[in-house]
Amino acid sequence: MDNSIFQVYEDEIQSLEEEIELLAEKYEDSQQESTFFSDEEILMSISSYQTEIKGHEFPSNLKAELETLETDLSFLMKFTGIQFTNHSKKTVEKTRNRTVQKHRLSGNCHSLSFQLDFQLLEMQNKENVSVVITDLSIRMESGENSDVSKFVERAEECGNLLTFFRSFSSYAEWYEHRRCTFRHFKGNYILKHDPEAGLCRSCSEVSHPNMRSESGGSKGIMAKYPEIVTLPEGLLGDHIVLRNPNTPGFELMIVWKIHMDEEGVTIPVLDLLTKVPEKGLEQKMATIENAPSHFRSVLLLLGIEAAIDNLIKVVGSEK
Amino acid sequence: MEGGKACAPSGVFAHLEMLEVQSHEAAVKQEEMEQQEEKLARLKATVQELRLRRDELQAKVDLQQKGQLGKEGVMLPPAQPSAQAVLEWKIKSLKAMLRLFYLTGISGKLTKKGVCFCISTAYEGTYLDSYYLDLLTEPEVQIYRHSVPIFIPLEEIAKKYLQTDIRRFLSVLSDHLNAYVQRRYQADQLQKHFSDQIEGKLQRNSLCDLLVFNYNVSRKSKTFLFKVRLLYGDLCCSLPTEAVVSCASDAPASVAEMAAAHSGLFRRVALHKAFRSFGSA
Repeated sequence: MDNSIFQVYEDEIQSLEEEIELLAEKYEDSQQESTFFSDEEILMSISSYQTEIKGHEFPSNLKAELETLETDLSFLMKFTGIQFTNHSKKTVEKTRNRTVQKHRLSGNCHSLSFQLDFQLLEMQNKENVSVVITDLSIRMESGENSDVSKFVERAEECGNLLTFFRSFSSYAEWYEHRRCTFRHFKGNYILKHDPEAGLCRSCSEVSHPNMRSESGGSKGIMAKYPEIVTLPEGLLGDHIVLRNPNTPGFELMIVWKIHMDEEGVTIPVLDLLTKVPEKGLEQKMATIENAPSHFRSVLLLLGIEAAIDNLIKVVGSEK
Repeated sequence: MEGGKACAPSGVFAHLEMLEVQSHEAAVKQEEMEQQEEKLARLKATVQELRLRRDELQAKVDLQQKGQLGKEGVMLPPAQPSAQAVLEWKIKSLKAMLRLFYLTGISGKLTKKGVCFCISTAYEGTYLDSYYLDLLTEPEVQIYRHSVPIFIPLEEIAKKYLQTDIRRFLSVLSDHLNAYVQRRYQADQLQKHFSDQIEGKLQRNSLCDLLVFNYNVSRKSKTFLFKVRLLYGDLCCSLPTEAVVSCASDAPASVAEMAAAHSGLFRRVALHKAFRSFGSA
C-alpha cells in the first residue's frame, strides 16, 4: 500500500477541518450581528453574572473586561468628538483569507450628524492584514449655506473614509467653535482654568453653575453685551449683529461662514458688513468705510475673539 | 550410511533457518498490512465524522441565512441566554465599535499612566501603516514610546503642540504621517505597475519627498525618454511642489512640450494615476 492513498485522506481531513472552523466562525458572526440586547438587559446580566460566579474560585474578568472597554470607548468619543450612535454590520463573505462586511454607521461629530454605508474588505497576506473600503456612501449634516457636495462626491468615489472623518472632524470643530464664540459674546460667562466647569475646547469658554457671583471686574462690560449683540439666526446661524441703542439705524454685521473645499479642507471666512443710516454719521463715513479692512487686519493679528471684542467695544462706546 | 535419506546436517539447518526467516518476514508483512488497513479505516472514519460535522454546521448556517432573509427585524436567540452569553455579546459589540475608531484615523486606549494612541493612515480606500504613541500624562504630557519613523519631525511638532493642545498635536502628526505614507504608496505603485516604463533605478529617500528617475512614454510607436525630479516641498502634502521634467537636448520642440505638460500633470495628479493616463492617452 503506498502513501499516496493516505495523503488523499489526510488532505481531505485538513480541508474539512478548515471548512468546519470557517463555518463555526460564520455562525458566530451571524449570531452576533443579528442579536441585540438593550442596556437594561446588560445591566441585569452583570448583576446575575456576579452572583453566579460568587461561589467559584476564578476571578470574574468578564465584568472587568466590559468596564475597561466601556471606559476606553467613552474616552475616545469624548476626545475625538466622534460619537457613534448606531452601528450594524453583516458579514457577506468569509473565506480563509478574505472577509467582506457591510457596515452601516451613524453618529455625530460634535454637533453635526452623519450616516455612512460602506463595504469593508479584510485580506490576510503573509505579513499583515489589509483593510480596503469600497462602496462608500456618505450623508453628512453640513449646516445652512454650505456646499459640501463636491467633497462628498469625491470621497465616495475613492472610498476615502479616513479623509472623510478627518475633514468632517475639523469642519464640525469649527462649527462648534463658532457656536461657542457667539454664545460667549451673547453674554455668557468666561472663566478659565476652572476644572469643575464644562469646557468648550476650541475657545476655552467655560460654563459654570456659580458664574454670576464670580465675574468680578468684567461684570460691567458683560452686562452691556446682551444689549449690543444680537444673533438674528440664533447660536447656529452664521452672523452676529452689533448695534448700540443710542445710535439707531447703525449696525455692524459680522458674517462668519464655514466652507469646505473639494479636498475636505475647512475654510472659515469672516467678513464685516456695515449698515449706516442716511443721516447723522457723515463725519464718521471714512472710519465706517475702512471698518471691513480694519476688521480683517485685526483678525489676522489678534484672532477672531479679539477682533469681535474690539468691534463690540467700538459700538458700545458710541454715544 | 544405513537406509533412509541422507542429507548433510548443515543443509537441513540452513533450510530450516531459511523457512524461519521467511515465516518471520511473512508475519511482519502481515502485521504491516494489518496496521495500514487499520490506519486507512481510521482515516476513513475520521473523514466521515468530519463530513457529518461540516454538513451539520452548514445546515445551521443556511438556516440562519434563511431566517434573516425572512424578516428584516432583529432576531433574538431562541433560548433564554445566560448572563455570561449576554455579557460576551456586549463585549464583542464594544470591541467592534472600538475597531471602528481605527477607521477614523485616531484610536487608542487608556493605560495605567496615560494613553496609548494609534494613528492610522490610508491612501483613498486602502488603509496602510498605523503608528503608535504611548503618552504619559503625569506630571505633564510626554511621549513615553512611539513607533513614528525617525524622519518625521516628531520632536518639533511635540514642542509646538503637545503641552497646549494635544488634539492639534495628533492632527498635525497625522497630517505628516498620512502624507508620507501616501507619497510612499504612489512611488511603490509606480514601481509595481509601471516598471516597464521606468528606465534604470527609481531614486528615492526614506521620507519620499524627493524622487528622481528616468521614464519613457510611447506614442504612435515612437518612444520618448524623459528624466524627472519630483520635490515634495510641503511635508503634509502628497503632491509635489516642484516637478522638473527634462528630455534629451536634441529632442524636437514637440517633445519639449510634452515634458512641460508632464511637469504640470505630476504637480496635479498622483504619480501612479499620471502614468496610468499616459497609457490611455
